[in-house]
Amino acid sequence: MTRRWTALALVLGLVGLVLGQPTVSSAQSEEPLTVYTYDSFVSFGAADVITSAFQEATGRDVRFVATADSRTMLSRLISERDSGGTPADAFVGVEVNDLGTARENDVFQRLSEKDVPNLQSVPDDIRFDPENRLIPYEHGFITLVYDSEQIDPADVPRTFDELLDERYRDSLIVEDPRTSSPGLSFLLWTIAQRGEDGYIEYWQQLMPNVLTITQGWSQAFGLFTDGEAPMMVSFSTDHTFDVIVNDSDHIRVRTLDDQAYRTIFGMGVVRGTDQPDLAREFLNVVLSSDVQSQLSETEWMIPASDNARVRNVWWQNVVVPDDPVLLPSERVTENLDDWVDRWVREALP
Amino acid sequence: MTRAWTRLGRAAVFALPLLFLGIFFYVPLGGLIVRGIGSPEGLTRVWELVSDPYIQRVARFTVVQALLSTLASVAIGLPLAYVLATYRFPGQRLVRSLTIVPFTLPPITVALGFVLVFGNAGIVNETLMAIFNLERPPLSILYSLTGIVMAHAFYNAPIVTRFTAAAWERLSPSYEETARALGASPRRAFFNITLPMLAPSVVSGATLAFIYSFLSFPIVLALGGARFSTLEVEIYRQAIVGINYGEAATLATLVLVIALAFTVGYLAIERRYARQVRLEAPRPKRLLFSGGWTALRRVGLYGFLALSVLLFVGPMLAVLVDSVSKPWQNTVAFSLEGYRDVFARGFSSLIGASPLQSVINSFSFAGVTMLVALVCGTIIAFLLAQRRLRGRRALETLAMAPLAISSVALGLALLRVFNRPPLDISGTWVAIVVAHVALAIPFVIRVLRPALERLEGNLTDAARSLGASPWRATRDVRLPLIQGSLLTGAAFAFAISIAETSATLMLAQPGLLTMPVAVYHLLAARQFGAASAMSVIMMAVLALAFMVIDRFGDRTFRRYL
Repeated sequence: MTRRWTALALVLGLVGLVLGQPTVSSAQSEEPLTVYTYDSFVSFGAADVITSAFQEATGRDVRFVATADSRTMLSRLISERDSGGTPADAFVGVEVNDLGTARENDVFQRLSEKDVPNLQSVPDDIRFDPENRLIPYEHGFITLVYDSEQIDPADVPRTFDELLDERYRDSLIVEDPRTSSPGLSFLLWTIAQRGEDGYIEYWQQLMPNVLTITQGWSQAFGLFTDGEAPMMVSFSTDHTFDVIVNDSDHIRVRTLDDQAYRTIFGMGVVRGTDQPDLAREFLNVVLSSDVQSQLSETEWMIPASDNARVRNVWWQNVVVPDDPVLLPSERVTENLDDWVDRWVREALP
Repeated sequence: MTRAWTRLGRAAVFALPLLFLGIFFYVPLGGLIVRGIGSPEGLTRVWELVSDPYIQRVARFTVVQALLSTLASVAIGLPLAYVLATYRFPGQRLVRSLTIVPFTLPPITVALGFVLVFGNAGIVNETLMAIFNLERPPLSILYSLTGIVMAHAFYNAPIVTRFTAAAWERLSPSYEETARALGASPRRAFFNITLPMLAPSVVSGATLAFIYSFLSFPIVLALGGARFSTLEVEIYRQAIVGINYGEAATLATLVLVIALAFTVGYLAIERRYARQVRLEAPRPKRLLFSGGWTALRRVGLYGFLALSVLLFVGPMLAVLVDSVSKPWQNTVAFSLEGYRDVFARGFSSLIGASPLQSVINSFSFAGVTMLVALVCGTIIAFLLAQRRLRGRRALETLAMAPLAISSVALGLALLRVFNRPPLDISGTWVAIVVAHVALAIPFVIRVLRPALERLEGNLTDAARSLGASPWRATRDVRLPLIQGSLLTGAAFAFAISIAETSATLMLAQPGLLTMPVAVYHLLAARQFGAASAMSVIMMAVLALAFMVIDRFGDRTFRRYL
């Protein structure tokens, strides 16, 4: 029996060792381009689209590394670079509010329209980095999203003031600004609304209406679709997602004070990469009209390029505010840590 | 000549697990501590952190929730152990094997199950609203301390149950019978005789529950939200999001010191009571569903069992139901799409590897972890069982220390140390397995040590005096006699490896993901159906594995003891 046991253990161990070997998928002679991005960029399917387009354009492979959300991946990139070096050649998914972090740590190369010709198709109002270290590839608006099955559309608040009403006790899911970019956008929006001196008070009054503050957007959306709360802070494209993917129309969008907060996502070439030309070519492919056209229904964001072809049904169901809010990036960069820290200490408890 | 070789061989065998822990646990940990407090800035940071009102608030909450979670785990785990140890009921062995399943579920699945059952729109609230015709959900359980404590009880009560039931079943009924014969009431016999004899197991289960709740992080993050931060959550935020490795390392060192103090306390308790553990004949059991009870008792017991089923089975069942439904045209429809997505080929690239590959990965990592942890743990347990060994306590503390480190801190430490030669293993499967082994070794030791201690002395001495070599005494006497414990230890190691999420998430590269990491990515990708389906597959596979292990173990157990 003992011998049988030993044999079993050995067999198990060997099987484990063999199966445990990492599977190397592509055996190309040339190094693939390593791109860091956030998890949903890969899982929503955008990475797939880009990989084939990139292979077609250059004959080279892309290896996406996407083990976390965008702010975490940016931290990882910086931390790796600080402790010796990073395998990343390019990065996709720096939100406009993290421009300061990216600049302070000097992780991305300065680029021009010569390096990335397709940048010409990106309108000026969403080019958030004058140095072009970060190039926008998609954008959208953060606002209130509600479930019409759970709350009568007529009852949904229309202003920041109405959102404080005690009718909405435990009715709103928001994301943690420390870990989530929509969460940060919403915090900045309240600062734009109430000023640096008033936002803490606003949040203190809002807290009873907040059911929970989730770590990331996807968890919040999961709770929201499970019916835990009738409203959440999310993207103004969520309605079109519900219409097209679920064939429903109960996930709806509401602006507050007729506004929404702008969110823009950018990408860049990592400084110190040994394949800078290929990385620039990658950025150009992401801005090509083919890839941009497909971003609308993989990322569910508005493509950055004017050349993107987007279905009518998609545009009809997206809410685009006339006057989106975006705090100037210098001000955000300068105060971000302070603002968030004050929020944690004074508004959270 | 042969003697010298034997001695050398033995030394090599004994050195193996120590070398393993030294390289893969203490070197990274040392790096973390040096970075955390090993410099003047580090020491300044210690002071800043300790005097920061925010950190103080977080620390207070961490301790309070851990204490409450421990109380809840004992309050639920102890009666369950009583039921398992005193009664016979159909499917008892199945229930026994499955008690380990909650312990192995990744937090992300548990959180999902809890939302579906105890959430505002969960089954419990919807049912109550329908019965009493209410407009608002009557019970707000989640997103509060209650939700966190319940989830921790879900995880840790089974540990208390398993530890206690094992001792209870070995407890000879003759003590209570004597007390009863001498006129003690059943209550008095329980409190004065049974409970004191069970105390060591209950206390060691409770201490583990405390350490786990103290270090818990994904559950707090998922069910509590930002308003309920623990120290562990702060470490995670500082290190992973804040790019503030220095501060994270300092905080991690402080938490480590606290958790280590508890671990040392835990070891002291175990040592103190170790000699009281008696191996007795199996306790005769009564039928659970039989007459002869007062109505009050019956209502109490059945009510408790029903609530336990709701707490433990409810969330898992809810995830199962969720996996076959999808939102469609403003309602929810039955759909196997989640499962199709999991096995669809096109889906592979979405999460970096095919979901099937994640199942294979999980099992091979768990297989290797089990093997290495079992070998290392058994050797250390054997050393600890030698009463004459000098430095036994130091060895014990060193080997059990991984209990006191959270997987976040361990993952962080491994990432920082092994990303360059001579051991450039971060990003390979080795790093993942190494982390799992370090976390599993204390459990293997915990299970095997009592078994080995019982053997020392008589039996092995007899074998030796009859001329058996030490190796032969081990092979022919020790190993067969500890098979049952080996199996339990293996099951624990396997379970820990399968369930581990936080460190794996940090160490896993594309292509290396495990089942819980796949669930995590699927959720992040709005693939809720596929995430539930993957969770169900994981639960099914785990339940099956434990049933097989337990059944197999039961057979060998009966044959040899």
